[in-house]
Amino acid sequence: MHEVSIAANLIEIVSEQCRKDGYKKIESIHLKIGRASGIMTDALLFAFDAIKTDSLAKDAVLMIDEVAVSGRCRDCGRNFTVEEEYVLQCPICGGASFQVSGGRELDIVDMEVS
Amino acid sequence: MKVKVATKILEANDRIARENRKIFDGAGVFVVNLMSGPGAGKTSLLEKTLAKKDGLRIGVIEGDIAGSDDAERIEIFGAPVVQINTGGACHLDANMISDVLGDLPLNELDLLFIENVGNLVCPAEFKVGEDMKVMLLSIAEGHDKPLKYPLMFQESSALVINKIDLAPYVDVDVSKIRKDALSLNPGLKMFEVSCRTGEGLDAWVQWLRETAGKHRVS
Repeated sequence: MHEVSIAANLIEIVSEQCRKDGYKKIESIHLKIGRASGIMTDALLFAFDAIKTDSLAKDAVLMIDEVAVSGRCRDCGRNFTVEEEYVLQCPICGGASFQVSGGRELDIVDMEVS
Repeated sequence: MKVKVATKILEANDRIARENRKIFDGAGVFVVNLMSGPGAGKTSLLEKTLAKKDGLRIGVIEGDIAGSDDAERIEIFGAPVVQINTGGACHLDANMISDVLGDLPLNELDLLFIENVGNLVCPAEFKVGEDMKVMLLSIAEGHDKPLKYPLMFQESSALVINKIDLAPYVDVDVSKIRKDALSLNPGLKMFEVSCRTGEGLDAWVQWLRETAGKHRVS
């Protein structure tokens, strides 16, 4: 829902690092986006392309790795990974009490610059 | 040339949130980020809380997509209030809060409420510099909300269940709201209130007073 804010934050961070390291242009950016981050990959790609003009990332492409939701059940004590965006119960024992440990990532891994 | 970045995309927001928090701590003000869906009663809860403040010095930042209706309702109680219009954005972020800090007498406040944009999804993702998040849910929204919008329940320190006076008229299982919310967040403090009848509000205000007071001492 707020992919434009995310894209703006992203461009600010990579542009600052690009300038600081003395490079002129960002060619590509590698991201890790969790499935439960609330961010839709397609909407983020669209938002990024729409607002990247006039920035050091104006020709950059985004490469996105999606991260599945994972966690640990407080009832059965086991770790799980699921394909869905949200976990509503432990997929192993059906328990309702669990700790989500992965799937909320909104991370910049690295970028290609020149 | 490949360059390692290893940064969270929201780090820019989190950094400003930490700066806001430093300013709040310096002024000795306890900050509550109040979140709910539209119409759950955030502004009503603030009105009722202000009516019972009894010496507690409370300020409010109102976040809305448009308009100043909420700020006008707060002003009646003589509380310092600033209205932010997000112009369409679905949440408040740390930068919007940073921009209005100069408009509030922070040193003269014990407690600052930041009333977020009505939305059960996005506000939970953005830190604004708060000490704690409090979520409000009205029972008319249905007992399926904790499991449909888990993040907000997981991120909050307290859940205020409002419009409890409507229980005889809506098919809602309040005990299911409590049970599901607790399983998502075992440490969640819960209150059942009615801003219309006043039921349960004393316990909420008492807890708020104690929580803000502890912060000031520490």
